Amino acid sequence: MTEIQAVPTTQVVTPRVRGPIEMQLKNVAVSFHGRTAVRDCTFDVEKNRVTSLIGPSGSGKTTLLRALNRLHDLTPGAKVSGQIILEGTDIYRGNLTVTELRTRVGMVFQRPNPFPTMSIYDNAVSGLRFNGIKKKSLLDEAAESSLRSAALWDSVSSRLKVAASNLSGGEQQRLCIARALALEPEVLLMDEPTSALDPVATLRIEELMTSLKSRVTVVIVTHNMQQAARISDDCAFLLMGEDRAGELIEFDTTEKIFNNPVDSRTLDYTLGRFG
Amino acid sequence: MTDLIELEEPTEPSTSSREEIRRISDNARARRVVTSRIMVALCGVALLIAAVPLVALLYQLIDKGAGQLNLDFFTKLPQTPTLIAPNATGGISNAIVGTIALTLYASILAIPVGVLVGVYLAETNSKFATTLRVIAQTMAGAPSILMGLFAFSFIVHDLNVGFTAIAGSFALAVLMLPVIIISTEIAVRNVPNSLREAGLALGAKPHMVSTKVVLPSAVTGIVTGVILAISRAVGETAPVLLVIGGGFTNSWQPFNPVSAMPLAIFENAKSEWPSQRAQVWGIALVLVAFVFVLSLTARIWASRKQQVRN
Amino acid sequence: MDPVAVDILKSEEVVAGNTPAATPRSWYSNVLVVAAVLFAAVSVGFVGSIFWSSLPTWVHHGGTLLTSSAWVSPAGPFGGLSMITGTFETSIIALVIAVIIGLGTSISIVFFIPRRFRTVVATLVELLAAIPSVVYGLWGLLVIAPWMEVTVNPWLNKWPFAKTIFGNSGQEFGTSLLLASIVLGIMILPTFVAISREVIAVVPQDLQEASLSLGATRWQMIREVVLPTAKIGLFGATFLALARATGETVAVALVAGSVANAQFHLLYPGTSIAAWIATEFGESQGTEISALMALGVILMLLNVGLALISRALVSRQRKVLARV
Repeated sequence: MTEIQAVPTTQVVTPRVRGPIEMQLKNVAVSFHGRTAVRDCTFDVEKNRVTSLIGPSGSGKTTLLRALNRLHDLTPGAKVSGQIILEGTDIYRGNLTVTELRTRVGMVFQRPNPFPTMSIYDNAVSGLRFNGIKKKSLLDEAAESSLRSAALWDSVSSRLKVAASNLSGGEQQRLCIARALALEPEVLLMDEPTSALDPVATLRIEELMTSLKSRVTVVIVTHNMQQAARISDDCAFLLMGEDRAGELIEFDTTEKIFNNPVDSRTLDYTLGRFG
Repeated sequence: MTDLIELEEPTEPSTSSREEIRRISDNARARRVVTSRIMVALCGVALLIAAVPLVALLYQLIDKGAGQLNLDFFTKLPQTPTLIAPNATGGISNAIVGTIALTLYASILAIPVGVLVGVYLAETNSKFATTLRVIAQTMAGAPSILMGLFAFSFIVHDLNVGFTAIAGSFALAVLMLPVIIISTEIAVRNVPNSLREAGLALGAKPHMVSTKVVLPSAVTGIVTGVILAISRAVGETAPVLLVIGGGFTNSWQPFNPVSAMPLAIFENAKSEWPSQRAQVWGIALVLVAFVFVLSLTARIWASRKQQVRN
Repeated sequence: MDPVAVDILKSEEVVAGNTPAATPRSWYSNVLVVAAVLFAAVSVGFVGSIFWSSLPTWVHHGGTLLTSSAWVSPAGPFGGLSMITGTFETSIIALVIAVIIGLGTSISIVFFIPRRFRTVVATLVELLAAIPSVVYGLWGLLVIAPWMEVTVNPWLNKWPFAKTIFGNSGQEFGTSLLLASIVLGIMILPTFVAISREVIAVVPQDLQEASLSLGATRWQMIREVVLPTAKIGLFGATFLALARATGETVAVALVAGSVANAQFHLLYPGTSIAAWIATEFGESQGTEISALMALGVILMLLNVGLALISRALVSRQRKVLARV
């Protein structure tokens, strides 16, 4: 696996050999009641890398992310067009039920949202239980493994039966990550997962994301450019167009987007000139 | 730029458990989806079941009631049918007059006190106010027959006023009071504090702020609550049943026995004369129309106000 | 009937949020205090006068009232057992009907009905709650009772154990405890739906999305996440509906058959506390009125108890949600 090198901007970078592809987006557009919210999104999400979606508010990052596990299905008037292909299957038109898709593409939300009526353990294995897994040994194993991956096991292993609402905000968010990981998804979507957290908790989640790469492919929406630069390998930059619909401006490795973008708007944004 | 990245020991997914999870969930999926569809359908069925009796009730009310309505129905006094004239039921003018009179006197008794108590609760933070609030909330849910018992033992019996309109109005007023108090308190509390503070900052006395600024802004909410209270009182049978005496004349006198539409329904529904049982549907239709118009007025008024505010 | 129920929920929210700017001190504040004291007096009089009027019964027939089912007017003894059993029997069956159908209805309204129809349905529910109870009673008596007598009851009596549950006497009654339960169930349905709908609707959206994102089906989302989160509030709605059912008077008086009947059998005529007060009061005097007042005291205690439980549950639900 190729890691990004911290290279001076002036240095010419040889084109990286692309790894295997997890998810392909082809001309993806989302509209609500006929009004386009985001469009023209075409890029590949590579396996075992962190891909970030950045852009000012209103550029449709979250809308695009939610299209990746069909969360718009329940929104009246929402329509997703184009193709989103997960390992060869079109997730909207292919032979894949929405519940199956969501076990393969997990999601972590802006606000830590563990189920308030469940214990830490029950939260961690809730996804498995939804999917009909009842075997105690399997649940125990998954709970431990996912809580370990979320760097939470050491602090909660002695109080697994305690209500999840007793955890701190940062711990709750890590529990939500563990909850998503327990299903062993291929892709983990994260919607500004640190925006409700303090700086220390944010740092821990960021470290976590990097370490998770070997286990899942991560797609993260963030409004924080430093965060995108720190943690992501690839980066998609979205911007609101003339008609207030978001569109993809540029997709490349994070290193390229931040140091040597093709589009001048990308440069303006990463330099903090707007947004 | 990337020096914050601290690569920890990567956690390898255990392929065997991932496969087992996939296998079990694949097997369980079809059943889960079917269960979900069935349960969603059952919820829809519940909605339909809930709708059936209510739609049937409204349909029969109009179907059987509309034919009863004519000029005599509204203007004549009731008659008891006889073997010679089995269809001579007369009209229900006494019940209409009685209902209006009862509601009128009840409103006169309940509205001023209710509004003032509501304002008091909104403007005061004390143990007494908290207690009154709990009392009002509890009374709002109390069975209405208890108001009838209260009116009987206090007005009819203790004050020796007898079975009269005023006793019924008293029972209805006790019924209306908590509703008016609660909605007034909400309306007054919903007036933004900035408005109060602006008034106080301009040097107005607190009671001036309350009467000249707060109450006018809260008036829609208060009126909505009052209308709801009235619409509730109009349809109540139990409290008036015990105390109004069931008069057979058109009487506006507070100290005379009167009739009322709900009472006429209650009495005539059990009549052995088919003509009287048929007429009851007409009374019920008028009563329901009355109540609906009041509730809808209150609702529309409240929602329009909301729109203006937004 | 039931805008009040929802108002009660709201009033606590408002009280928690908004504090008055100042306490007025003037003639105006005196008027307010006088009104408040007047209301306090009314509420004390309300409880006091009913209790006072019932005192002779508690003193002389207190034991009989709670243990005997023989009600002999005009001189007594006055046994209230059949009314008390009737109240519980009809209310609980009504509650089961209302909760099962009402829960499905609320879930449908919140999750499955398109947004633009939701206000229409909500308005309809409120209007249905506004229909006077005497009209439900009339409908039950003139439309449903004949149908029960001719069609439903003979059919029910063919069931196994029918004799034990329904009490087939060889004679079919139209008005019965079963009919009263059904009519009551229909009547408290809007109350239950109004509150449970609000309680379900405020379960945070992101909890629902979290469960869906874990591969839950919509029903699993509702069953495992929405309903447990709303649980306490739903119990609150249940107790309030039960309180309404126990206090309902004229509809039960019309459709239960107005007979002081200590049988538990559902197809027999019977009565409830409130209905019995309404039907007996007109022909009573002296000691019997006092006995009816005593029944009123029992009804009041029952109702206040249920209402307080309901309030406590709903405010606890609010705290739970505040923490989420």
